[in-house]
Amino acid sequence: MKQPTALIADDEPLLRERLRSHLATLWPELRVLDDARNGSEAVELFELHQPQVVFLDIHMPGMSGIEAARALGRRAHLVFVTAYEQYALQAFEYGAVDYLVKPIDPARLTDTVQRLRRQLDGPLPGGAALDAMLDQLAGRLGQRVEARRWLQWIKASVGTSVRLIPVEQVCYLRAEEKYTLVVWEDGEVLIRKSIRELAEQLDPERFVQTHRSVIVNLAHVAEMVRGVNETAELRLRGRGEVLPVSRSYLHHFRQM
Amino acid sequence: MKPNALLPRPAPFLPTARQALVVAVFTLLLSWLLHKLSRTPYATVFGHIGFIGAVLLFAYSSADRLRPRWLSTGKARLMAVVLAAPLASLMTAIGVQGRDVITYLSNIKTLSGYVMMVVLGVVFGVAFSLLALRAERRERERADRLQVELEKNTLERELVDARLRLLQAQIEPHFLFNTLANVEALVAAGSPNAGPVLRHLIAYLRAAMPRLGDADATLGAELQLVRAYLELMHMRMPDRLRFSVASLPPLESMRFPAMALLTLVENAVRHGIDPSPSGGMIDVGGCYIAHDDQVVLWVCDSGVGMSETAQPGTGLSNLRSRLHGFYGANARLDLHEETPHGMRVELRFQHGEKI
Repeated sequence: MKQPTALIADDEPLLRERLRSHLATLWPELRVLDDARNGSEAVELFELHQPQVVFLDIHMPGMSGIEAARALGRRAHLVFVTAYEQYALQAFEYGAVDYLVKPIDPARLTDTVQRLRRQLDGPLPGGAALDAMLDQLAGRLGQRVEARRWLQWIKASVGTSVRLIPVEQVCYLRAEEKYTLVVWEDGEVLIRKSIRELAEQLDPERFVQTHRSVIVNLAHVAEMVRGVNETAELRLRGRGEVLPVSRSYLHHFRQM
Repeated sequence: MKPNALLPRPAPFLPTARQALVVAVFTLLLSWLLHKLSRTPYATVFGHIGFIGAVLLFAYSSADRLRPRWLSTGKARLMAVVLAAPLASLMTAIGVQGRDVITYLSNIKTLSGYVMMVVLGVVFGVAFSLLALRAERRERERADRLQVELEKNTLERELVDARLRLLQAQIEPHFLFNTLANVEALVAAGSPNAGPVLRHLIAYLRAAMPRLGDADATLGAELQLVRAYLELMHMRMPDRLRFSVASLPPLESMRFPAMALLTLVENAVRHGIDPSPSGGMIDVGGCYIAHDDQVVLWVCDSGVGMSETAQPGTGLSNLRSRLHGFYGANARLDLHEETPHGMRVELRFQHGEKI
C-alpha cells in the first residue's frame, strides 16, 4: 500500500508544528508533504503535491479555510481545525467533514486518524453533503454578502493625509459646486464626491436630503420650524446653522 | 435620536389665547374709562378701542412670519404695532364718518380725538408688546435650557452605557483558545519561551477582566497591557506582525481610561494585520505638546486599511464617549488612512495635570 500523504494549512506556525508533531506520534506512516500559511497557499500546494488528506484551519488571512475547501472540492479528505467556532461546530454535526478543536486533544486526534485510515481505502466522501455543509458553515461564520452596504466612513483629504470621518459624527453635507462640504462635530472639510453620489450611498434611514444641495443627519436635528409656502427650516443640535427644507423635500418630514 | 423628535414648531400667525384674553380685558376696561370721561356711549367707544386693540394684536402676532430676514423678531413686532396704531385709528374714523372723513380730520376738535386715539394705541401697544416679548424670551430661554439639559443627560447616559459595555466586554474566545493552543505547543516543545509567553497572557487576562472603576488606571499600565497583547500576537504570527510600543516616561503616571489603547491595538490587529496574508507593522506612540497642554497618542498599522462601507464596531464610538467622560468634550479620536495602506488612529486630549 502506498504511503499516506497530507498537507497542513494554518496561519500560526507554532500550531502547524504542533499538529505535525502530534501526527508524527499518532500516525507515523503519514508523510506531511508541506505547510500552507493561508487558504490560497493551501490550494496552490495541494495542486503541487496532490496529498490525500488536508488539515485546514478555518480562520486564515486572505482565503479562509472554507473557501479553500470549496476549491479543493472532493479531491481530498478534509479535516477542519478551529480554535473556537461555537456556531460552526453545529455545522459539523452533518458528518460530511471531520474537525479538530485547538489546542488539539491527542485522544480526539487518534479518533480522526483511525477514521481517515479506514476512509483512505474507500472512495472520497463529500458531494452534495459537503457543499451543503460548507454553505452552512459560511453562513454561520457571517461570510454572507449583505444585500446593501451603506457608507459608514467619509474619506476626506486633509493636507497630505486622508481622514476617515464616521458618518454618525457628520451633522450635514452641503453641495459646493462640484464638491461637497462635510460638516461634522469637530470641523468641516471639502470632499470630491457630489451630493448626488452621497445621497445614494448614505443610509436613508439616517440621512435625509432636505434641499437640492443639502443632506442632513437626522440624529443631529434639534427641531424643524415650518416656514411660508410649504418650506421649513431645520435647527441642529448644539450648532448655530439653520438649514433650509425646500418644498420638494418637505414630504420626508410630513409624518413626523 | 429618533426622527420623531423633530417636533414642528410653526411660528403662529394668530395670537395665542392668552394674548387675546389680555387684550380683550384691557380694551373693555379702557373703553369703560373713556366712556366715563367723554360721556360717549359705551358701545361706540368699545367699537373703536376694541377694533384698534384687535388690529394691533394681529399686527404683533403676524409680524414674525411676515418680517424680512434682516429684521429681528422683536423689532419687527414693535414696528408693526407702531405702524398699525395710526392706520387702525384711521380705519375706525373712515368706518364711522365714511366720505366725511376729510372734514372730520380737518376739524381741530375731532382731529385731537383722532390723535389721542393714535397716541393711546402706540403707548399701550408698545407697552404690551414689550411685556409679551419678554415673556416669549423667557419661554425660549426655558426651552433652550431644557434642550441643553436633555443633551447633557444624553451624554451622561452614553457614558454609563459605555462603562456597562466595558463591564460586559469579554475576552474573545477565539483569541483565548488560539493563544492557549500556542502556549501548549511551546510547553510541549520544551521551549524556553513558554514561561514569558504565559506571563504575557496572565498580564493580559488580569487587565482584561471586567472591572468597575477607571480610577487607578494609568497610561503606563495601559502601555504594559498593549505590550503584553502584542507579544502574544507576535508569538502567534511571527512572520506577519512586527510592532513597536514607545515608552513615554513623563506621561506614564497620568490617569488613563483602561483598555482605551488596547481597543485600538486589537482593532489594528483584527481589521488591519490579520486579514492580510503578508501582515504588517503596528506602531504605538505618543507625545506631549507643552504649549497647549495636549497629549497625543497614536496607534498606526500598515495593514489592509478600511473600506468606506466597513461597519464601525461599537468599540470606537464607545471609546469616544469614554474619552469625553474622562477628559472632557474636547477630547478627540481621529482616524486617518496611511499610505500606501493602513490606518492611523489618534487620541488627543488636554493633559490637565502637572508634568
